[in-house]
Amino acid sequence: MPNRLCTITADPGGIADLAIAGGAATQRQLLEAVQRQIASLSANQAVKGVIVRGQGEGFCRCCGVDTHTNPYGAGELAAFGQQVMFSLEKIGKPCIAAISGECCGVGLELALSCDFIIASRRARFGFPDIAQGRLPFCGGTQRLARLVGKSKAKEMIFGGELLAAEEAYRIGLVNRLYDDNELLPRTRELLERICSRSPFAVRIGGEVINAGYDIDLQTACLLERDAFALIFASHDRREGMQAFLDKREPEFKGE
Amino acid sequence: MPYKKLRIETLNRVGYILLDAGSRFNKLSITTIRELKRALAQVEADGEVAAIVLTGHPGESFAVGADIGQMLHFDSGDAFHFAELGQSLFAQIEACPKPVIGALNGIAMGGGCDLALACDIRIASEAVRIAHPGARLGIITGFCGTRKLPRLVGKNLAREIFMTSDPYSAQEALAMGLVDSVYSAAEFWPRVRAFAERVAAHPLLALSGAKRLLNAAEDTDLRTGCLLERETAAMVNFRPPAA
Repeated sequence: MPNRLCTITADPGGIADLAIAGGAATQRQLLEAVQRQIASLSANQAVKGVIVRGQGEGFCRCCGVDTHTNPYGAGELAAFGQQVMFSLEKIGKPCIAAISGECCGVGLELALSCDFIIASRRARFGFPDIAQGRLPFCGGTQRLARLVGKSKAKEMIFGGELLAAEEAYRIGLVNRLYDDNELLPRTRELLERICSRSPFAVRIGGEVINAGYDIDLQTACLLERDAFALIFASHDRREGMQAFLDKREPEFKGE
Repeated sequence: MPYKKLRIETLNRVGYILLDAGSRFNKLSITTIRELKRALAQVEADGEVAAIVLTGHPGESFAVGADIGQMLHFDSGDAFHFAELGQSLFAQIEACPKPVIGALNGIAMGGGCDLALACDIRIASEAVRIAHPGARLGIITGFCGTRKLPRLVGKNLAREIFMTSDPYSAQEALAMGLVDSVYSAAEFWPRVRAFAERVAAHPLLALSGAKRLLNAAEDTDLRTGCLLERETAAMVNFRPPAA
């Protein structure tokens, strides 16, 4: 077994750091490692929020190419990769990608499945595998187009060039841009602030945004209305409003 | 019936709905929302008006969400009806055949941010602060914001805004496409009026057609949208030969 592909460090405040190194033999090996960590982060009640980041250079870079004897094998890998990304999207707690270097291929697919991406000015983003005739397969074509628009997504995927951090910020792929040494402290600070909000509201809000994005306005608004009504039955809602009226910080329980 | 929470002024084919709900914040209480619905219907029916401006000018705020003191005592059923009432106002803005311009003079938070999102175009003053503080109160928004904000600024920025509950400045809002233009406090109102009058000078049939088509563009596939455009253009662009 080489160096561990992903490591989790959780602090007492409940912020977990999921660091993913480069160096996996294959994409399947990388995805399997990530899947295990997502499952454990999702189940761990002590974890309130997750930072997904690289470890040194080459976030998620794989040394080898997955080979298959027929298209079914590649299709099966895509199905598995998509399932891993869905499980990250549905992890049930806030999850920010903090990118400081190259973020390509499966790495970009992972970052796209987080709630949003924060990057350092050195970061670069892309799907370069088109040069070998390979496409994103974990939902990346769909998530990228929905995030930056069809035309930018085509430019990135057809061209296969890596996008500089500034450009990624300009087109909305990246929410915030920081200097290298500021990236992790700032990401942590932001995530801690998000974790101080009602976990229930943060989670339901994220889910309703995701669900509503792909359906028509009327149906999405029905969904939102029902979620809005549901959330009024929560402890956190009563606490949040009472705290606002009392001009004090709320104490949320996530229930 | 007179209005208690707003005023209506009409000038040069522009109908101004000026929110003044009695406090600094223009809270969108049930009464205010009902009055907005009534005012919109009145301005929409006014044959002298071709464009509508919705604003909190000259007050400090554009609008904020419901009164928290009132909402504290809501149960799920009350929340359900409140969401329905707010959504029905926003559906009315969308269905209104006249362009509705949101002139964001100041604070636009929660339901007030959603009200801004329901407008066709948003012009902001430098003084604007925009936030969706629901997660801080333990709620999500119920006025279509979870659908409209991601479509406008992208899913990831929308999630950030909802998750942090933080206020964003006018310049930040401009950079992410949440507002369409930003002017200094002094320039703001003259620019709003100039733009609204420019829009209102155009034939209403063309404005309504454009509004309908652009709204539809978001919800239909390209072919259906083009079909709709053909039908609308046939009606709007039709000029009979001189007799």
